[in-house]
Amino acid sequence: MKKIFTNLYNWVDERVDLSDIVKFMSKKYVPVHSHSIWYYFGGVSLFFFIIQVVTGILLLFYYKGSADLAYESIHFIMSKVEFGWLIRSIHAWSANLFVLAAFIHMFSVYFEKAYRKPREMTWITGMLMFFLALGFGFSGYLLPWNELAFFATKVGTDIAGVLPIIGEPIKIFLRGGEDVTGATLSRFFGFHVALFPGIFTVLLFIHLLLVQRQGMSEPLNEKVKKTMPFFPNFVLRDLLLWLVVLNLLAILAVFFPAELGIKADPLAPAPAGIKPEWYFLFMFQTLKYIPGYVLFIEGEILGIFLFGLAGILWVLVPFWDKKSEQGRQNKLVNYLGIFAVMFIIVMTIVGWLL
Amino acid sequence: MKNILSKYIFVIFCLIFSQITNAKTDECFNCHSGLDDSPSKLFKNDIHQKVGLSCSSCHGGDNTSDDMEISMDKKNGFLGIPSQNKISEICAKCHSDIENMKKYRTDISTGQLEELKKSVHGAIAVDGKGMILQCTTCHNAHGIKKVTDSGSLVYPTNIPNTCNKCHGDINYMRKYNPGLSVDQLAKYRESKHGKLNLKGNRKVAQCASCHGSHAVFTSKDVRSKVYPLNIPETCSTCHSDKEYMKESNIPTDQFEKYKKSVHGVALFEKKDISAPVCNSCHGNHAATPPGISSISKICGTCHALNAELFGNSPHKKVFDENNYPECETCHGNHLILVARDQLLGVNEGAVCAKCHTEEKNPKGFKAAVKMRALIDSLVVLDSISRRQIFIAEQKGMEVEEAKFKLRDVHQAELEARTVVHAFDAEKFSEIINKGVNASNEVISEANSQVDEYYFRRYGLVVAVLIISLLALLLYFQIKRIEAKQNL
Repeated sequence: MKKIFTNLYNWVDERVDLSDIVKFMSKKYVPVHSHSIWYYFGGVSLFFFIIQVVTGILLLFYYKGSADLAYESIHFIMSKVEFGWLIRSIHAWSANLFVLAAFIHMFSVYFEKAYRKPREMTWITGMLMFFLALGFGFSGYLLPWNELAFFATKVGTDIAGVLPIIGEPIKIFLRGGEDVTGATLSRFFGFHVALFPGIFTVLLFIHLLLVQRQGMSEPLNEKVKKTMPFFPNFVLRDLLLWLVVLNLLAILAVFFPAELGIKADPLAPAPAGIKPEWYFLFMFQTLKYIPGYVLFIEGEILGIFLFGLAGILWVLVPFWDKKSEQGRQNKLVNYLGIFAVMFIIVMTIVGWLL
Repeated sequence: MKNILSKYIFVIFCLIFSQITNAKTDECFNCHSGLDDSPSKLFKNDIHQKVGLSCSSCHGGDNTSDDMEISMDKKNGFLGIPSQNKISEICAKCHSDIENMKKYRTDISTGQLEELKKSVHGAIAVDGKGMILQCTTCHNAHGIKKVTDSGSLVYPTNIPNTCNKCHGDINYMRKYNPGLSVDQLAKYRESKHGKLNLKGNRKVAQCASCHGSHAVFTSKDVRSKVYPLNIPETCSTCHSDKEYMKESNIPTDQFEKYKKSVHGVALFEKKDISAPVCNSCHGNHAATPPGISSISKICGTCHALNAELFGNSPHKKVFDENNYPECETCHGNHLILVARDQLLGVNEGAVCAKCHTEEKNPKGFKAAVKMRALIDSLVVLDSISRRQIFIAEQKGMEVEEAKFKLRDVHQAELEARTVVHAFDAEKFSEIINKGVNASNEVISEANSQVDEYYFRRYGLVVAVLIISLLALLLYFQIKRIEAKQNL
């Protein structure tokens, strides 16, 4: 077995000269310290993304992206296609866990100030991928064309529509017309399986390349004494965690399979308790609490504006957090981060319960 | 004694005197009587004249003066001939006044005008000037008699003709309800009610008995006494009254039986107004009990397929020859219960054995036993199918297809319960077989879903074991590599 591998390696090496890569890999070390655990969430996010790509392609074999056939095709996948139920359930669960892992990864990087110079580009590409992940979630949610998805999309796109001047064109662009129709489903399908994956792949490539090139960031106020080789130690640990996560996914998919609900009926009244996916819930709930008018500004517009501003500040943190860049503690960044985490958790729970 | 007698004579004298003075003072009537006009002629026998009302009670004016200029002066409240709603309002002046009417009868109703206004006759007439009907349309203006007087237009035996004045006039009726037939009176005269009414029987139902007198509504109006939901109760007002029906010699338990019947339950409990009520089988204006030979035709208006199958069955000839009422022989009449499978066969509660005894008619007996066994087996399979679907559904499995197929089983049961009226064991068994096959498919589909459920669970255990084993191996591999590195 080993001989086959050696022969294969030699065959490739003879043609493309792998020595540089091997040299680079063997010299790459991962710092070992009390916060090392957070390093693994990037890898877990990557694993979920891989699962999404694989299961997504399998679903594509049977899914039909039209208002007349979408619901029926998923019903077919769930009931007739061999292991179709499993693939769809894994896709649905993995989507949620992907966003969760990305959240954890993002906050761990933020609190570790790993975004500081020279890793600004890694942070930016990561944030862009995070927004794309939310876009994947929003667009994918509509694809089963069931009642909940239909009305959640209606509400979601309505929110975009309240923005002054650009709101209405954005809404019409997203919906492919005035209302959520088959045209919306078609374009959401396009975003979900072509546009977003294309952009995501490019960003992921840059992100991983930067991580490899620059190595892992080290904590600000902890002197790192120990390291471990990236290969095979860190890679194998990553793999071990992936296996654990895969187990978790399998259990969730079998015990809590994804539901299909009732087919969307554009003429039916909206059912009670329409809620977006959990990762949008904190924003949705906040918008509900803002009064109709704050001074002379419409409450909803103010809410969207504030979230937009917070998002921009968040993305640009490597550029305004000068203290961390200089290797000093920045308490303001910590407080803002703690506030953001608390705010998201509380509002999500409130939104879930109410 | 003498004293009492003299007082009595005095009272009588006063009464006669007052009548004379009264008659003398009603100058309107005196003058019009002299003219010998129709109103005054009719008014002579009018109930209102008898109780002391004069022309001026309705027409206004001063009835004490013989000078026309004074008696018919508007300053003295003279109204002339009232028209449209004014007519009914003048009648209501007294008839809606409880205190006033109490003088004549303590139990008299005083809400007639209000009822008329709400009724279909109270709607605005085509000329837009007032209600379609005024009091005088039915009661006349002059010469009004007590309702209990056979000369009254609204005396029970006169009512059909009074209503027919408008309801039998196609030119008049098409202005209001072109779809309403105008032959009700002709139909009524063909009914038991109509025939007896014509003979002067005032107890039998006439128009007002069923439709009401003042509060008449269309049969589509829920307030109407002839709205489907209300018909059984309307008919039972007379037909359930033993005392009232004493002379007619017909039973009075129809309503009680009907209430318990499948039709009565559908009507009263499920509020299904398409359920048959009294007039669906007996007719309404031409109400008559259906004849023995026509029962299947009457039931067949709704149960068309059953009636057709029965008509082509060997039973038809036998029933006709023996004068058995068709549907009624097995299902009864007013107390028609849900036709359960227990009606079929030779056991207790079954009707076949009434004629098909094992000794006299073994062929029919055997066929009945066989048909009952067949439908029973399908019912059992149906319940097994539903139970298996339930089990699979409880496990969260997809059972839409099985549920869809289950409809074929139900369809076969339904067909079998209809085809039974052909009394053909072979045809019956064909339908049952269809149901049995469908039910086997349902059971197998549901069972496969249950199997799939366990397959997923066991599959998960295997997958988790394999993945965990791999993870464990990897863990030891890492430990081994790291131990080597430390060395």
